[in-house]
Amino acid sequence: MNPEHDYGTFESDQRIVAHSRYFAGLMGSYFFVRLRDEQKIVGARCEKCNKVFWPPRSTCGRCFSVLSLENLTEIGPLGTLETFTIVKYREPVHPRKAPFVYGIIKLDGADTSMVHFVDGVDFQKLAPGMRLRPVFANKRNGNILDIDHFEPLDSY
Amino acid sequence: MKSAKDNVELISIPMVVDVPYRFAAGKYMTRFLTELRDNGKFYGIRCPLCNRVQLPPRIVCAVCHVKNSDWIELGNEGTLVGFTIMYLPLTDPTTGKPHEPPFAYGSVRLDGSDSVIDHFLNVEPVVEHIRIGMRMKVALKEREDRVGDLGDILHFDPVT
Amino acid sequence: MRKNVAIIGGGQTHHAARRHDVNQVELVNEAVRAALADAQMTIDEIDSVLFGNMEFFEGCHMTDCWLVDGSGAYGKPGLKITTGGTVGATIVGAGVHHVASGLFNKALCVGFEKQEEGDTGAILSGVAHPLFGRSLAGAAVGYFAMMATSYMAAWGAKEEHSAMVAVKARQNARKNEYAHLKLDISIQDALNSRMLSYPIRMLDMCPASNGACAMILADEKTARDRCAKPVWIRAMDTAHNEQFELDWRDVTTKKPIFSRVSASRLYRKLGVDDPSKYFDVFEIYEPATWAEMVWYEDLALCRPGDGFKLVENNMTAIDGPIPVNPSGGVLSTNCIGASAMLRIWEAALQIRGDAGGHQVVSKDIRRALATAYGGTNWTVLTALSGTMDD
Ligand SMILES: [Zn+2]
Ligand SMILES: [Zn+2]
Repeated sequence: MNPEHDYGTFESDQRIVAHSRYFAGLMGSYFFVRLRDEQKIVGARCEKCNKVFWPPRSTCGRCFSVLSLENLTEIGPLGTLETFTIVKYREPVHPRKAPFVYGIIKLDGADTSMVHFVDGVDFQKLAPGMRLRPVFANKRNGNILDIDHFEPLDSY
Repeated sequence: MKSAKDNVELISIPMVVDVPYRFAAGKYMTRFLTELRDNGKFYGIRCPLCNRVQLPPRIVCAVCHVKNSDWIELGNEGTLVGFTIMYLPLTDPTTGKPHEPPFAYGSVRLDGSDSVIDHFLNVEPVVEHIRIGMRMKVALKEREDRVGDLGDILHFDPVT
Repeated sequence: MRKNVAIIGGGQTHHAARRHDVNQVELVNEAVRAALADAQMTIDEIDSVLFGNMEFFEGCHMTDCWLVDGSGAYGKPGLKITTGGTVGATIVGAGVHHVASGLFNKALCVGFEKQEEGDTGAILSGVAHPLFGRSLAGAAVGYFAMMATSYMAAWGAKEEHSAMVAVKARQNARKNEYAHLKLDISIQDALNSRMLSYPIRMLDMCPASNGACAMILADEKTARDRCAKPVWIRAMDTAHNEQFELDWRDVTTKKPIFSRVSASRLYRKLGVDDPSKYFDVFEIYEPATWAEMVWYEDLALCRPGDGFKLVENNMTAIDGPIPVNPSGGVLSTNCIGASAMLRIWEAALQIRGDAGGHQVVSKDIRRALATAYGGTNWTVLTALSGTMDD
């Protein structure tokens, strides 16, 4: 071996593929079943904090109260756009081709918001405070894309 | 009285995370892998303090915390120090292809090295045919099939 | 330790192969609520939450963030820790250091794994070097199998000795209401179980469990004021092995490998002469039967090469002179991120006399040693006692 030899750089392209299965738990399961079967959206109310959380959960993070199925309450379906972004670049990990809109949407009756797509809207007219309604998927499988997207209420 | 809420269908959602990455071997591993790929040679690196010949070569001796710089060409024979016969179909995570069980797998210390290499053993996967202390010899893939990976070793053959 | 630190409460889930009824937050919350109840404390009294699991084993990154409601960490300072198989003990180590430093008086430590959710094979392959072993990455069973053949060749142990460890673990687990594999098995059952990777059979390996463990650590004043039976952390030690070197599987190696280094340092700190007499019970991290016999030797409970004789002579049985893993150990329950913490918690329960069906009753339990190790080739040891005089 010649110690003066320049070995240059050595890089290798690889990938790791990992499969997993997320279990929604009791409160999460109830949310997905109601969404899939009835096109209803539920949150969980903490009586002590007087807050309604989405997604529904078994412990109130703020006061550590136990929340159960009795605390579930219907929220929405209408909501208000709190903030948004227009995604203009493409990434393999993106669920859609750019351009598309991600909105942070607070459903009526909820104190926390969800992220979802906002479609059917003129990008120029996007603004916090815009009223939105969910459009449910025709084929629903019990996941968050059972809401296909949100769209502005005013166009209807 | 039982309500509908007592019998909630339990929901689970399958997910796949597929992460591409580009790994940079670094100076020491680059030299080691290039020599293996291009010339079929194994180089270890010797620590100037404890004299351990480490494989694969690395910049620092973890025990002495000094810089390693003494490259040592190793032979292609060694001694078996541990083995197993694998009955599980293990998948090569980099290709997704399974290694068909049962197969013999072992740990070999190349002559002149203080480290071991784990690899397939080209012996019948029967306990009686494998013995700790037996002499083994590296079988490399053909030059054109070598890419600079431990997988450039095909397996270890018993020295007869 | 500059300042004394005690375990003032703890709790665990009923560990199982399937927990479809809970998500990760809910699983963790079961252990956290059990620990708070045990310590008679509310979450508001906790100063800091230290949290951990195996990286990406559930297909989720940043579990400290996603599981914050269940862990009780909302709005509190804390850390996520992920150090492979040792993680449960490393979390405790971080908690001990935080309390010993005086920064916090009450630290909640939480470890969990919901193994059914993820792809452990794929994620573990990511532990191997991308160009030096990843393409050949096998399961953990292969590593232990090579340690086993080395052990058998060097010391003359037989598959029967492994079966004895397998039976001891599962029979002890039957006494532990929280254990996962409560199997009424015989040595013949173990020897007849399916071969996975010679000489390791199905019953020689740990299961994949879902479960969580939580413990509350406190400073001396809080411990004495608030807890009837504090268990004192007397010493901890951590040692790392070096990258690439698999010599820990070669039982004849003369190199001072990580577990032996760690043990000798810990014994020196405590002035331990004969650990088999100094400690009254051991909770060790044994994902495979053979690892238990190697631990006996690395911990100097016997001479090198005599580990299998300890189990052959029932020395480490729950009613033996050196009880090891009365809980059933990792061989009976392996929710990895919780497993090393469970060793410490089970050791604490033994000292408190609160282990229930698997309490060691053949002797007074004053001191205990808990061990952990992981695929990152490091060791964490924790020594516990019931009083500061022991
Ligand atoms: Zn609340
Ligand atoms: Zn050195």
